[in-house]
Amino acid sequence: MQDNISRRQLLQQLGLIAAGLAAACTPVRVLVNAYPQRFDDDPVLVDRVLSAFVTAVIPGAAAGDPDLTRAFTDRDYPFAPFAAFFAADLERRARARFGEAFERLSPAARTALIADGLAADATSRKLYSGAIALAQIACYAGIYDAKKGCTLIGFEGGYHFPQLADITYPEPTRFLAAALTPDGNYA
Amino acid sequence: MKTTCTDVLVIGTGFGAAAPALRLAQAGAKVVMIEKGPKVETADFRQTSDPKYIRKYLKGISGDHLHLTYAEALGGGSGFYEMVSLRAPTLAFEQLDDAGRPLWPAGVDRRTLDPYYELAERMLHVAQIPIEEVPKTGLVFARLMKQLGYSVDRCRYAVRGCQGSGFCVTGCIYGAKQSLFLNYLPQAVAAGAAIETDVEAFAIQPLPARWREGTTLCDMPYRYQVTARRRSDGALILFAARTVILGGGTVGTAKLLSASRPYLRHLSEHVGQNIAYNGSVKVAALLPEDAPDADMFTGRTHPGMVSYQFLGSHGITVHAVKALPLMLVSAAHLRVRGDTRTPDFWGAANVELMRQLRHRMIILDAFGLTPPGATLRTVADDTRVSLPLTARLRTYHAETKRVLESILVRSGCRMVDTDFLDESFLPRDDIHFTTAHQVGSCRMADSKERGVVDASGEVFGYPGLYVSDGATIPSSLAVNTSLTILANAERIAAGLIERYRLPCPLAA
Repeated sequence: MQDNISRRQLLQQLGLIAAGLAAACTPVRVLVNAYPQRFDDDPVLVDRVLSAFVTAVIPGAAAGDPDLTRAFTDRDYPFAPFAAFFAADLERRARARFGEAFERLSPAARTALIADGLAADATSRKLYSGAIALAQIACYAGIYDAKKGCTLIGFEGGYHFPQLADITYPEPTRFLAAALTPDGNYA
Repeated sequence: MKTTCTDVLVIGTGFGAAAPALRLAQAGAKVVMIEKGPKVETADFRQTSDPKYIRKYLKGISGDHLHLTYAEALGGGSGFYEMVSLRAPTLAFEQLDDAGRPLWPAGVDRRTLDPYYELAERMLHVAQIPIEEVPKTGLVFARLMKQLGYSVDRCRYAVRGCQGSGFCVTGCIYGAKQSLFLNYLPQAVAAGAAIETDVEAFAIQPLPARWREGTTLCDMPYRYQVTARRRSDGALILFAARTVILGGGTVGTAKLLSASRPYLRHLSEHVGQNIAYNGSVKVAALLPEDAPDADMFTGRTHPGMVSYQFLGSHGITVHAVKALPLMLVSAAHLRVRGDTRTPDFWGAANVELMRQLRHRMIILDAFGLTPPGATLRTVADDTRVSLPLTARLRTYHAETKRVLESILVRSGCRMVDTDFLDESFLPRDDIHFTTAHQVGSCRMADSKERGVVDASGEVFGYPGLYVSDGATIPSSLAVNTSLTILANAERIAAGLIERYRLPCPLAA
């Protein structure tokens, strides 16, 4: 039988067998791919949901930034295999609680749903914590463009060339406390 | 399979490896160095926060209550360190173990290391930072300490022509930081040493050989065979050496000796034990309104000042930390103490805090004389580190945190609570130390019952097999470790030259 069906179909069949468990347990739902197929098939949909997620986690993040959600599907990071599931989970929670698509919810409603995910089972907590960290790392550190940094927090990134006047203060001795050593080395 | 024969095989190219390779090559020995990391030079470095770039060179090992960071690249950690180059205080060499015995072997102390510190400082152009180059973060830290009547000293660095770009830890694109591929390693090559990168040693076997004590190096038989693998294609490479010097760092050397135990059956049981880690404790706060801008993002990564104020009383040194956003948000959840808004570590409150990171946040870090209590274990290919949290360690952590918070609170700062994160970005539920200052996994001692190598660096029971890196350092130092590792490696190299009756290169 396994030779005649795809892995996804097999997993979905296993999911039907374990349906009751799957409804309650995120790890099993991830394992059986028990989320709508369209999240696997439609990267634009996933990107829209993830954009709505990032702008809730980081209010003020540039919604039009092409790198806003890139880290979530970047195969160099461990989140990529879960990106579609995560988007589907946000959507499921949005429909269940507000009867509306996640991306169309107000920032406050999106924030409440993310908090729900963090307060859910251990695996959901891990998934949501990882997603928040990834969003913050990618945005605040500007990981995809060394020169861009993050204007939101005043980080200009690399390859900027400060003058000495930018680095220090005039008359620096006024700041200095008494030293215990003549040369910086403690005896 | 071809065997490369050499007088001296040096495994590693970092602070512990570079000095013996250079000195022995200068003295006329045939020296081969192997490095498992990639070849790297100034032109390879980037000023980036891209984790993929950083992970190419910097590796980590986690475990119970401790995380170790180390580098795999030509020059070891010297390409990526903060270039702080301080001599360890005398107090560090006077530490005792739980039974009241000295941690350092007889004859190795600050006084005996001082000439080698001086030599290492000359090689790396170490100097105290000029007053007019101290970054704003360091000046604001100094101001806080001054207002409380505490001392602060200008720190010492291995740098020439620092541009203050703030990206020391991703490699200096200007070649200002004195990484070892700018000094020791090219000088070693000029003296005849060969360096092979991308080659990882995985077994050391003694060869049947006889010699008399006092035999010169070139008259020695080949005493060890080292099996290595080229990482790019998996090709096996054999080396036969009269003397082998392990300089792959606290993690690398312990792993290699442990893996070689089937052939080195008389190794001390202390391999991988007794790791010291400088007990780093960090606290963060927001500066008061009247404090000057403590610009977190400009100037050298280490902000220029160190305080020895609490060294005698608490066994700690204190300095300010400059954290790029990547380091901060990947390490901890932050929230302003007393701010009850939710969500706290993300959302609007977090953005507000991150906007203050650059100009208003100050982070203090203490390095302490914590006991050497961590252990490295490798099972299959999985290496883990563990640190038992003793009552003494808990007291140290609590008291150090209290001292740091007291400095900030009395200065009018508003504390920022930090929940440090595990690999899944979940808050850790207990004390967890992080460090790049791990030492001591094959420590020097007066006997095999207490350590792995003797004071000369020679492995107990294995003549001609030496360790010269941080693995030999038997205690925390309360200051950055690189200069002490290099000075001790210079001392071990001098001992080898004397023992093998080689002409002294420094005399020439």
